[in-house]
Formats: sequence, C-alpha cells, structure tokens
Amino acid sequence: MNDPVIRTASCLGLDGYGNDRIGWREWPPELRAALQRDEWETLKWSHLFGSDAPRFSRLDGLSRVGLMAVELLEVDWSRLQRERVGVCVETRLGSLATDVRFLETLSPSVFTYTLPSTVIGEICIRHRLKGPVLCLLPSQGAGGRAIEAAVEWLRQGEAAACVCLACEAVDKKVAGFLPLADDPAVRGWQAGALLLSRPTGSRRESPLGAGTLRDLARRLCGRPAER
Amino acid sequence: MESAPVIASCGAVTALGLGLEPLERALRENTSGLRAGNRFAGKRHQSNVAGYVPEVVLDELRATKPSHADAPAFLLAESALRQAEQGAGDWLKAVPPARRGLVLSTTKADVAALERLVGGHSCSVPARRHVLPGLLATDLAEARGLCGPVECVSVACVSGLLALQLGARWIQRGIADAVFVVGVDLVTDFVMSGFTTLKSLDPEGCRPFDRTRTGLSLGEGAGAILLTRQTRAPSATLNIAGWGSSNDANHLTGPSRDGSGLALAIMRALESAATAPEVIDYVNAHGTGTPYNDAMESLALQSVFGERVPPFSSSKGLLGHTLGAAGVLETMVCVIAAARGLLPGTPRLRERDPAVSAAVLAEPRAGVIPGRMLKINAGFGGTNAALVLARKGL
Repeated sequence: MNDPVIRTASCLGLDGYGNDRIGWREWPPELRAALQRDEWETLKWSHLFGSDAPRFSRLDGLSRVGLMAVELLEVDWSRLQRERVGVCVETRLGSLATDVRFLETLSPSVFTYTLPSTVIGEICIRHRLKGPVLCLLPSQGAGGRAIEAAVEWLRQGEAAACVCLACEAVDKKVAGFLPLADDPAVRGWQAGALLLSRPTGSRRESPLGAGTLRDLARRLCGRPAER
Repeated sequence: MESAPVIASCGAVTALGLGLEPLERALRENTSGLRAGNRFAGKRHQSNVAGYVPEVVLDELRATKPSHADAPAFLLAESALRQAEQGAGDWLKAVPPARRGLVLSTTKADVAALERLVGGHSCSVPARRHVLPGLLATDLAEARGLCGPVECVSVACVSGLLALQLGARWIQRGIADAVFVVGVDLVTDFVMSGFTTLKSLDPEGCRPFDRTRTGLSLGEGAGAILLTRQTRAPSATLNIAGWGSSNDANHLTGPSRDGSGLALAIMRALESAATAPEVIDYVNAHGTGTPYNDAMESLALQSVFGERVPPFSSSKGLLGHTLGAAGVLETMVCVIAAARGLLPGTPRLRERDPAVSAAVLAEPRAGVIPGRMLKINAGFGGTNAALVLARKGL
C-alpha cells in the first residue's frame, strides 16, 4: 500500500526554528530574550526569510507562526497541483489571544482573526491552495489528529498533498483567564508543519510514523540533512 | 461511496424553540424565528434583530442543570444531544459507550464566558472551561457517557458540514458505531460587535436572495445529528452520500466573486457521491443575505448546474446565521424536508434579486419528496463545503 510520506517538515518556537534540510537553529540572543519575555511582536518575517512579507504585521499570532512554519517547509508549490493541496490545522487554544484583543479593541481588522481557522485562509491565499480544509481543536495532544485527517484525504484521493500544521499563539496573561496553568500549549508562540503526499521516490521523503506533529517535526529537524 | 452513513435521529434548540416540532411547523408555514431583542441594551450594534433562543427555553434548560446556569453553550448542545439520543430508538442501547463518538462543531463555543472574564466578572468553572471548544466537546461527551472518539471542528461557517463529514468518515471506517455531530453557537455581544464592525448586519433582519438585501442576521442554537450504519438503524431513510470542501485562496472575509471555490466543493461532493448534477432535487443554500454571498452562491450553482439549477432556498431567515451550528441545523432542515415531503421556502424573501437564479424558492413547495439533496455552506477564510444527502435505495 502506498502509504503517505512526509515530504518536508519544519517548526519554530521559543528557542529557535528549523526544518529537515537545515536542522535546528537558535534565534539570535536578543530576539530569543525578547521571546522569552513574551514579546512575540518582535518576531519579524525578515528574521527568517530576509525580506518582508506583505501584510505580515497585520496578522494575528496564530497566522504569523502558521505562515512562518509553512514557509519553512521550503516547498516549490508550482510543482504541486495546488487545487488538490489540502490544509489541516490543529490548535488547542486557537484564537484565544486574538479574542481577548478584540474585546479590548473592537477593531474590524482584529475580528477577522478571531477564528482558529483564519490561518488556513492565510496559507491558502499566499500559496494559492484550493484543496480540502479542516481545523481541529482537541482538548489534549498536539498534531496527531491533523495528521490522521490528512492521511485519510490522501488515501481516499481527496487531496494529492496536504499541509499539516499544529500551532499555538497565546501568552501567559491571556491564558491566566482559563484553567490552563499546567498546559504545555501555553508556551508562547509555536508551530510545527509537515507536507504529506503519496510517495514520489525523492530521497528527502520520510515514512510517516506515530507521534504528534510537533514532536515529529522537532525530531526530523534535529536530524542531519538527507539531501 | 460504499456503506454510506445514515442519519438516525436529530435534536435541536433554536430561535423557534425546543425540539424539532417548532422547526417543522415553521418550515411548513415559512415563518421566521428572527426578532428584535433587548439582550444587549445599551450596546451600539448595527442591528438587534437575531435568532435568539427564547428566554423561557433557556430558563427551562438552566433549571435542569443549575451547576451550568451560566454555561449556555453547554446547555443548548447537551439538550440537542439528549434529544437525538432519545429519538434514536432501541438500537442505540446495544451500542457500548466506547463505540459512541462525538464531533462538536462551533466557532466561538462559550465566548460569553470570556467576555465576563475579561470584564472582571464572575464565571463558573464549567463556563470557564467552555471558552475552549475542545473542553466543551470533552465535557459534553462526559455528560452523556460517550466514551468513544471526541473531536472538535472549527472552520468558520462551514464547521457544521465539515463536522458531519468527519463523523461520517468515522462511521465508514468503523472508528465508532454511533456518532453524534453537534453544532452550537451563541448570539453574544462579541459576535454582534464583530459583525457590526464589518458592517455585515441587516438592521431590519436578513432577506436572503432579496433584491433589497443588505446583510445577515445572527442566530443561536444547537443541533445534533446521530450518524450510524444502515444495518444498525434500518428505519433511517436518509444517508450522507458524499462530501467535499475547498478554499477560494482569494480573500479572508469575502467570497470569490465568481463562486468558483464553492463550485469546486460542490463538484467534489457530487463526485464522491457518484451523483450527476441533474439528479439533485433540492439545494439548501448558505444564503446569508449579504449582497456578495448570495450573488456568489447563485453563480456557483449556475456554474455547476447550468440552466437547470434545482430548486433552492435559504434557512437563514428561519433561524438566523447560527455560524458553527449552521451546517448541522440546516442539514436537519433537509432531513425534515425529506421526511415530510416538502421543499423549504426562504422566509423573509419578498422580491427576488433578478441576478439570482429563478429556481430560488420564496415559498415552500409541498407534496414533493426530494430524493437527493445538496447542502452547502461558505465561510470566512475562503472556506467552502458541500454535502450530498440521498434517500435510502437511491
């Protein structure tokens, strides 16, 4: 059976970022210190990709880390059937931080981001992806459900490839409203992404095993490049 | 699609009242559940017309579970779920708890509790938990003794249809033997303020597909649909024959003007159901009443069906736009249509927009038993979803 494979993996978080090609890299010390202080607004697109991305500063935290993780996948989208590339997102806390911000500002541009699935729209617009979509909000775990749903799309032929994304964007102040003190999802902004597809024979492909998406991405990013 | 999951029973709490009976009556009489309310007195919302669940119903639900008196999302969803359980018949008793699953569909869960917390007001422990949709799903499952898989889907206004797709998949794959798909959302200051900032509300109440439409009306409520295999519920008459979803990849809050994204989702659903467009007897449209949505949707239908667009209507004038519950409640409208032999009308539509296909039904059409139906929704983030429903034997 041609089980789906991981084409590429990426992640970013409090300490740094990485993907299966470059491995893990730490943020510059100043930026890292700012992120440790929950100052996530200091993280710019240019820290990772040189130039600035249009509208990036207008995005909420979830969309920022989500878009960055997907960009870190380093996919040549033009080589995929974009109409058949799906996006499956998993997030426990969703748009919670943006919800609080909307209640404080009542701004229409903030309201747009008060849905956990807005990050899907941002990814699809940036990369012109038109495949199936799903956003899951489990009460525990991270990433496994998104992978399961994506694998099913691929097995059933509903998608030719699929972006799986696990992301969180909430600070300790916002989380303080809820019973989340010991929740591992409350560790600032973080995201892990995978691109899954049917096997193509490329050397960069890895078999899809058990494990959460973020853990899987971290493990893959920690491995030496296989090119 | 092999072994299509069947719809065994339903439950609802809506602006029309508790249970399916008020919904059935309103469908027959083409009446609206929208009304001007005073829940947000002193707030400057664009409109106070919405599909509010009547206070008498909320009070009744609060009385049944005083510990959750300030947790309306839970109360509405649990009531709908319980109705679906009770309507299922004896076969459900033979399904062990570990084989009963739950898929919750919501956009904001109990966001009213977050409003209170941010405002420094008191909030019960259950309500605090239900700010997080995943925990609301877990607590609902626990309350009803559902020990099988539990999931929460949140993809704007297509959440309900995607939740039904996921539940149907679980049945097909044998992950569960009975899956309750529950949709719930509330009319709160948060959502009223949000849509006010976008200037999306119609001050007079929504008029889907009407020439003079100016916006949507929000609605609240919960719907529950119980899915299983045909062999378990032989008396079930309607199955989920196919589904599809897509993204416009165009704009975050507006639909693609040509309807191509929605058309793509419809074509995917028809293909997965191995159904030709010509055999669809009725379409329950998204039909929010916003100028852009209704125009886009009409174009999408014409793009898929050509000059033979099937009769279609919108249920937003009936219930309001119930956001995460919309896909579930509007699928339930299709279930009632098939069971009662009627094609629903579009409450509050007075004068059809000439740009909208003439196939739109302003009034219900009685004496017609639809064999195959299409349910469609579109939402923020450019998301689209479609579901094909078919009568047994077709």
